[in-house]
Amino acid sequence: MKKRVLAALMSTALLAGMLAGCAAPAAAPAAPAEEAVAEEAPAEEAAAEEEAPAEEAVEEEAPAAEASADFSGEDPQLEKHLKISTIWAEDNDNGVLINMIAKEYQENVNPNFTWEYEYIPSADLTQKITTLAAADDLPDIFAYESGKPIVELIEADKIVDIGAELARIGDTDYVTPSATSLLQTLSGTDTIYDLPLGLNVEGFWYNKALFEEAGIEAPPATMDEFEEDLQKLQDAGIQPLVAGGASGETWGSTRVVNAITVRTVGNDAMKKAADGEAKYTDQGYVDAAQKVADWAAKGYFGEGINTVTMNAAGQMLMSGQAAIFYNGSWFSGSLNSEDNAAGEDGIGFFNIPVVDESISSATDYSMNCGNILCLDKTKYDDATAWFLKYFVEHIGDAAMSTQGTIKGYTYSTKAEDIKPYTQLVLDEIDKATGAFTWYEATMNAEVSKTAQENVQLLLTGDMDGQAYMESIQEAADMAD
Amino acid sequence: MPTAPAVKKKTGRSGMKKVLGNKKAIALFVVPAFIVYTIVVIAPIAVSFYYSFFSGTPGLKWEFVGMKNFLRPFQDSRFRDALFVNLRYIGFVMVGQVGLGLCMALLFRFWLKRFKNLIRTLLFFPVVLPTVAVGQLFAKIYEIQPNYGLLNSLLANIGLQQYVHAWIGEMDTALPSLIVMDIWSAIGFHAVILYGAILDISDDVIEAAAIDGAGSFQLFRYILAPLLRPMIVTCAIFSFSGTVKMFESAKALTGGGPGNATKSLSMYMYEVAFNYNKVGYGSVIALFIFLMCIVGSFIIGLFDTKEDI
Amino acid sequence: MTKIKKITPKSIISKVVIALVLIIDVYPIFWLLTASVKRNSEWVDYPAYALPKGFYWQNYVEAWTRGHMATFFKNSLIDTLISLIFIVIFSTTVSFACVKMQWKLKKSVARYFQIGIMVPVATSLIPLYQMFVRTKLTNTYFSLIITYIAFGLSLSIFLMTGYLRTMPNDMFEAAVIDGCDIYKLMYYIVVPMMKNAIVTVLVLQFFFKWNDLLFSMTFISKSELKTVQTGLLYFSDEFGSKNWGAIFASISMSILPMLFLYTFLNKAIIEGMTAGAVKG
Repeated sequence: MKKRVLAALMSTALLAGMLAGCAAPAAAPAAPAEEAVAEEAPAEEAAAEEEAPAEEAVEEEAPAAEASADFSGEDPQLEKHLKISTIWAEDNDNGVLINMIAKEYQENVNPNFTWEYEYIPSADLTQKITTLAAADDLPDIFAYESGKPIVELIEADKIVDIGAELARIGDTDYVTPSATSLLQTLSGTDTIYDLPLGLNVEGFWYNKALFEEAGIEAPPATMDEFEEDLQKLQDAGIQPLVAGGASGETWGSTRVVNAITVRTVGNDAMKKAADGEAKYTDQGYVDAAQKVADWAAKGYFGEGINTVTMNAAGQMLMSGQAAIFYNGSWFSGSLNSEDNAAGEDGIGFFNIPVVDESISSATDYSMNCGNILCLDKTKYDDATAWFLKYFVEHIGDAAMSTQGTIKGYTYSTKAEDIKPYTQLVLDEIDKATGAFTWYEATMNAEVSKTAQENVQLLLTGDMDGQAYMESIQEAADMAD
Repeated sequence: MPTAPAVKKKTGRSGMKKVLGNKKAIALFVVPAFIVYTIVVIAPIAVSFYYSFFSGTPGLKWEFVGMKNFLRPFQDSRFRDALFVNLRYIGFVMVGQVGLGLCMALLFRFWLKRFKNLIRTLLFFPVVLPTVAVGQLFAKIYEIQPNYGLLNSLLANIGLQQYVHAWIGEMDTALPSLIVMDIWSAIGFHAVILYGAILDISDDVIEAAAIDGAGSFQLFRYILAPLLRPMIVTCAIFSFSGTVKMFESAKALTGGGPGNATKSLSMYMYEVAFNYNKVGYGSVIALFIFLMCIVGSFIIGLFDTKEDI
Repeated sequence: MTKIKKITPKSIISKVVIALVLIIDVYPIFWLLTASVKRNSEWVDYPAYALPKGFYWQNYVEAWTRGHMATFFKNSLIDTLISLIFIVIFSTTVSFACVKMQWKLKKSVARYFQIGIMVPVATSLIPLYQMFVRTKLTNTYFSLIITYIAFGLSLSIFLMTGYLRTMPNDMFEAAVIDGCDIYKLMYYIVVPMMKNAIVTVLVLQFFFKWNDLLFSMTFISKSELKTVQTGLLYFSDEFGSKNWGAIFASISMSILPMLFLYTFLNKAIIEGMTAGAVKG
């Protein structure tokens, strides 16, 4: 697990985005791609030439049109007030980084630049942004979710084609190829409309001591082994599984359903159902949901799973109250902290066990870029472009030097000592040859909410797999 | 009215008429409030009605769809669930708040001898707490993971381990847990109002009944209950108007979960309008809630003997 | 009262019942306050009802510094107090005009204002929100205050008209004969006479407004303008569920001022409420 060397190509890793990932209901975006994430090169240059609309918009809006051609020289210190809305408090996570960059830009480069920073609770994010979009009053820069939500904004022509803009300002090299390709596949475009704030893999974290106690020698590779291990743990008096099940954080549970669905139906299972090529009520989907219900009925999730938050679940894993926890690589932020009762080597990671290599392979990971940043199209002008330039050129280093995290941008500083769990994640990302999305990535708000709410009933046994998937299908049918 | 000399009475009357018929003053007194109230409270009902014929959000996929939104509730199982949750909640909370409030008021009157003020003050405490704070407090009381909350830890330590529950995490217990919380937080309010009404009943009446040999139950049934009825109805209306909108406390305690076990109509409406961007359908639900209020108030009003206006 | 005093088993039961009621009512609050000074590790090592092993004030520091409590309080106070002032002024004048003054439409207007009692806040929420978005009034004190005022009027007017109706006219007549005009009459006679009703309205509306979550979470998204209620909802996001100490500290902080206020004013509050409500 920790043998492979850090690949330069995949210059990406976890984010410290604990809250980024944890607080958002449909938290992080992921790649629905079958193609290898790591290998694909960015298509920005090509895209930039084709993407005329973005440039038109820029010309219309730009107050200082004469400066728009050349972004290679000195910052012209244009006067600008930016409104930035995100789901991170100013003193937290990406909030710290964004404010730091803005402050540095103001102090070191452009004294005429000012900004206001607004926090939106992640649960309200899509609601606030869609309403603001409808009223043509989006903030200049705002955090959003990739997948279905961002696709809707792209279709409504509300946000800037960042790929084209980066080409225009000559900064295409700063967003890493892997992050770019993830974002492209998520929005289904050949350019990017958003800036990444992380690059994550997801899977099962396990408590090594508890595995040993139950007599399990190696983490499971196949679904059958996985189920045997769950039973062994149960027999040893250990709670085998824990997941985020509390209201608002049940995406932690739907991802377990997703894990099984993908391995039994295929990497594109959720996309097919969303596109209407399959129904959510098809046998494979129902069986996957039923499996989770069965596990819950056997007591694998312990008591009161519906009140367990992601943080609580993580704590339970570390303190040895539960053996296995599904979460993203951002979880290494918690693991690296001194609060981790399991210590530097107490927790391991394994990818979702495989059912059939031909359906979904062991090197296919659930991957995503965390919450992302978008730029409002109507307010975008050259002054914003200069800030964008500064942002992409500096955020990689800033994240690395202050938090030791990688956000999907290149960086020049090397973290002196990469922490053990960070290394673990880097190794996992390195193994990835393919990627798939999380459960709700292709669902609209209504379907996604239904899936996330009713999964609680699946876990308590008030719904079986059939009823659960039917409720999702009903919401999908009602959606228009 | 005291008798007064005829002449003075007459000038008094006409003076009164002049002062109280002052058109300018009436306009000044009524118009500002009238405008604010009309724009913020009444006009939106009409606007809701207008919205209910459209799909999407104003400014975003806003299309006229005729009666379609009015038919949706009949196909929407989530709407039915929310309605059912809301009705059960109204029923239980109303009975609990008013009934137990009445018990507490009687307790103040007949059983409480010493430290009256202190105890009444203490029992009123929960009323002044912000709803969200109460919700978060009770979330911790009911908690089971990662540590037992107050309730479960008490149960576990007095040998009732089998009753340890994920109180707000299970379908069967989530709504009752919420109901208990809302009764707890409002009981003092109703008790104090009803206590005031009981104090208005003179001791003579009660003592006379006692001398006639009425037992406690008879005293309540034949003397107190009829005299308290208007006040009980008032309490019921307070309680109803608080429960029909069911939002704050559920949002703070359970967020509507598990599943939609504690999701009220207001919460569902909020979701539909703001999260799903179906302002039209949301407006239909909003109008439905309005209708529910009217019907509910009407039913409660039937129990009131005196007509207010 | 005297009758029941004699029976002794009953008085024992009564004491037990009163004690029980007291415990149920007050213990959760006591628990909250004590729990707010516990270390996080105490939650794991001891049962939840255990008393704190020391005073860990760090919880409060964390809630205060990271929680923006002062801002939330300021906002709640601004929103609530300003709307209370207007509610009292409007409801007093409207009620007086509709009950004691003489004009044709007074009954209809009184009835019109009463419709509002039956309008649940949820019904107006969507149009109001759209209205504020369009007029760019979201994220302002104004949006909340105007809404609070309007939604406070119906019940307040209902209570006050009921109260006024039971009031004899002699006082007004005497004052008018002494030469009061309508404004002096309001100020010197009506308002003092309606003191109880006003206190009732103040108390009721204070709790309604202070507790509002639906409007404030819909109209306000800026942290600097958030009220205590929306602020509290966001605390648990902010701290995560494992940090019980900080969560308890922030809840405690949000209730302490209410408890103080109530302790000082409880006599006036309870008296005003009982007196006013009974007449209503």
